[in-house]
Amino acid sequence: MTPELIGALSIAVLLALLALGVPIAAVLGLVGFTGLALLTSIEAATIKAGVVGWETISRYELGVLPLFLLMAHLCFTAGASRDFFDAAAKLLGHRRGGLATASIAGCAGFGAISGSSLATAATVGLVALPEMRKRGYAPSLSTGSIAAGGTLGSLIPPSGALIVYGMIAEQPISKLFAAALVPVATQALLYIAVIILLCRRNPALGPVSERVPWRERFASLGRIADIAVLIVLVIGGLTVGWFTPTEAASIGSVLAMLLCARRGKLTIPALRRALAETLRTAGVIYAIIIGAIVFSVFLGATGLASHLTALVIDANLDAKAAAAVIVVVLLLLGSVLDGMALMLLTVPIFLPMMVGLGMSPIWFGIFVVRTIELGLVHPPLGMNVYIIQGIAKDVPLGTIFRGVLPFLAADMLHIALLILVPATALWLPGVLA
Amino acid sequence: MSLPPPDDFGEERAPQPLPTGLTGVAVALGSVALLVAMATDALAVLGRHFGFPLLGALELVQASVSVAGACAIVCASAAGAHAVIHAVLDRVSPASRAVLAPAGQLLGAAFFLVLAVGCGWIAWDLRAAAEATDLLGIPLAPLRLFATFALIFTATLFVRTAARRA
Amino acid sequence: SEAPAPDAPTVLRYATPYTAGHPLSRADQQWIAHVERISGGRLRIQPSWAGGLISSEHNLVELRHGVVDVATISPIYTRGGTHAIRLQAGFYGGEQSIDDQVAVYRCLQASFPRLGQELAGLVPMEVQGGNVLGIVTRTRPVRRLEDLRGLRLRVPGELVPLLRRLGADPLDMPMADVYPAMAKGVIDGVVAPADTLKALHFAEVARFYNQLRIARGAYPARAISEDSLRRLPPDLERLLLDSRIVWERAVASEFKQAEQVGIDYARGLGMTFVQPDPVAQQRLDALYLAEAAQAAANADHGLPGQAMLRVAQDTLRRLRSGSRPPCAGPAL
Ligand code: NA
Ligand code: NA
Repeated sequence: MTPELIGALSIAVLLALLALGVPIAAVLGLVGFTGLALLTSIEAATIKAGVVGWETISRYELGVLPLFLLMAHLCFTAGASRDFFDAAAKLLGHRRGGLATASIAGCAGFGAISGSSLATAATVGLVALPEMRKRGYAPSLSTGSIAAGGTLGSLIPPSGALIVYGMIAEQPISKLFAAALVPVATQALLYIAVIILLCRRNPALGPVSERVPWRERFASLGRIADIAVLIVLVIGGLTVGWFTPTEAASIGSVLAMLLCARRGKLTIPALRRALAETLRTAGVIYAIIIGAIVFSVFLGATGLASHLTALVIDANLDAKAAAAVIVVVLLLLGSVLDGMALMLLTVPIFLPMMVGLGMSPIWFGIFVVRTIELGLVHPPLGMNVYIIQGIAKDVPLGTIFRGVLPFLAADMLHIALLILVPATALWLPGVLA
Repeated sequence: MSLPPPDDFGEERAPQPLPTGLTGVAVALGSVALLVAMATDALAVLGRHFGFPLLGALELVQASVSVAGACAIVCASAAGAHAVIHAVLDRVSPASRAVLAPAGQLLGAAFFLVLAVGCGWIAWDLRAAAEATDLLGIPLAPLRLFATFALIFTATLFVRTAARRA
Repeated sequence: SEAPAPDAPTVLRYATPYTAGHPLSRADQQWIAHVERISGGRLRIQPSWAGGLISSEHNLVELRHGVVDVATISPIYTRGGTHAIRLQAGFYGGEQSIDDQVAVYRCLQASFPRLGQELAGLVPMEVQGGNVLGIVTRTRPVRRLEDLRGLRLRVPGELVPLLRRLGADPLDMPMADVYPAMAKGVIDGVVAPADTLKALHFAEVARFYNQLRIARGAYPARAISEDSLRRLPPDLERLLLDSRIVWERAVASEFKQAEQVGIDYARGLGMTFVQPDPVAQQRLDALYLAEAAQAAANADHGLPGQAMLRVAQDTLRRLRSGSRPPCAGPAL
């Protein structure tokens, strides 16, 4: 068997095992392990799996994920998330899909704290899902909007993905950050438009509440003043340079703990519960990340990605057509590879080609990060979706993917806009320069 | 449609009992490790601004999160929280489900066993390497061993669930 | 898999954590082209760039267990089992070039078998130095050692004692955090070679590159697993071993180019290159050597620290005086 054939077969096996109800992490990890063992040896594959497992739990950059989760669970303990959505309901509840819109805003806000989609989806999901559910939101709409909203985190500065792209492509990261702002704003607006359209077509998806008088609205805002202080301190501290994005997780957790104390909720049992739930959620996420990386390493070793990319280069297209084909290739690969691996594998190949076709590398960075992030929400391997499933245990995966579909349509529209009007990305850095 | 009364909040998340036995130990250790990581990082930030730099804080955070991470995997597995696609499983006959459900759990056990063997093998390879962090000299061998045992224990949790579902 | 046809080329799998366009990977490509050409097509190297096939932290273990045949290794960043390789990296005070660095390592390797034993199961394929380290600072130049006082600098672990002695506030953070941390003023600067001004974009977020030279050590950075090497027919084995100098020269020349590219890029962005006060450089060199002497005297794990320091410094002295010792091997 050639490596490419092993790669193609493994994807078929992967899909079959997923459908049969084997835990997703185990499917990814075992198929990756077996494939790697076929390409190298059982010994080598075992060692590689051990390295991936250890590095995932011991690396500082990934290690901050449970700390972000702890912050979310502590906010929950403090009742802060309830008050936040209470306020959102009083302010926006009389509008169709108001709370889903608030969740998108929450994702954007959290995205400004964390550099990652996964952390954004997991943290905001923990806070927002139970609140939307209590207010009668359809599981498809609430989980779908957070899975999609989570991808905002990867374009909003500080963005881990853009920093990595800047290093590979040797492009100024400050320019990339500036270039991301208009696209990410249009992305968020498109998501909100999707929510409004969906709720207009089927009002049962997001029940509308009665308009509340302004006095009550202000009162509910008063109750979240301390939360606002927390958010301002974290985002402000990041902006001013008191701490780094990775340190923000610990600072946020300490502040959330103070919030609990201020509200008289910091009891030993409550703290133990928050910690236990943090560990449980983190374990689900770690297992999936380990499985996905083992699978990614294997697929990288098959050379499947380089074959697909070679096909695009051989086709000799013009810039816009080439961009469209790259979207298809990235979506295909993104359905089975994790985002970082995909970027490292494809950017060095596609970037020179697109620059040769006259596209700006800054534009390409926004385009490629945007497209790769789509892989986080589309089937079969959509990490954001899996993670949200891990949080909202009783919502079937199919429902979440169904909920994500309308947002995927908006994503495609957004990417088309990015291809047809590169100025959406390039205008702002031009103005700032 | 009106909102549910405020008192309803929090009830839907029926508090699960905290686990006992080895899993309980994992929860306790993981919790302490998380708090240590949080406090260390936060103190390092404070120290930086108030003139008592804590060099090596990063290493302590790293060591703590590795313990927390291993415990987290145990906790998630003990709670049966791992993400699964139910679409087919929910539609097949009870007889097929009686085969598929434990088979899936056994594959889960196999996955964590592979990770455990790999992790333990590396620890064995490096047994004489005196692996330690640069600044604080935190030894890594115990941390690797801890992760290995946590992964083995996780595999046994899956086997137990498989036996229960068979 | 089937047995290869008698005239099918022998394939060796090579993996590196760097992307294909990285200067180090460009050097790898030169080496690959050389090996394939010189073997008349009997040897084929199948590279894997940045695919995660080899870890940047556990590469020695992975290579020993056959994850790939040849790989980029980083014994200097491994936190166990490479104590001698790590210790010697601090003994290069007075080096003037990448050629100096590689020559010193070769001589140390010849005198101290411990360096080879730490890579048991592997055969080094390339010894690598690096561009001299300078100090990138955001807002103020460093001309005298006193200017370092109170500066919050990200430094490699082995330089922490030295920078502390200079009154700086050295700290450790992941390399990926350095750019945003400098942009926001979380740190005042970073100790890094000039190639990072472009490669890691430091020139965007800092105004000064202070050319106070901090010596850089060498270490083996590419290796083949012994099993893979022994499986080859003797002539191909010889060919690979002979190709080491090609790889070393390619890396040295790519490093030099990358340094120039970084400097040009930074100049284009208006970065100021600060020449240190000569007295400051002399004092720094003396402090560096004092640190090295202390590290040599305190060497644990049964390492002959002082003897190693002596060989390193002897080699450098002889290189300076124009009498290249035989252990230094061919110049790069
Ligand atoms: Na972000
Ligand atoms: Na996907």
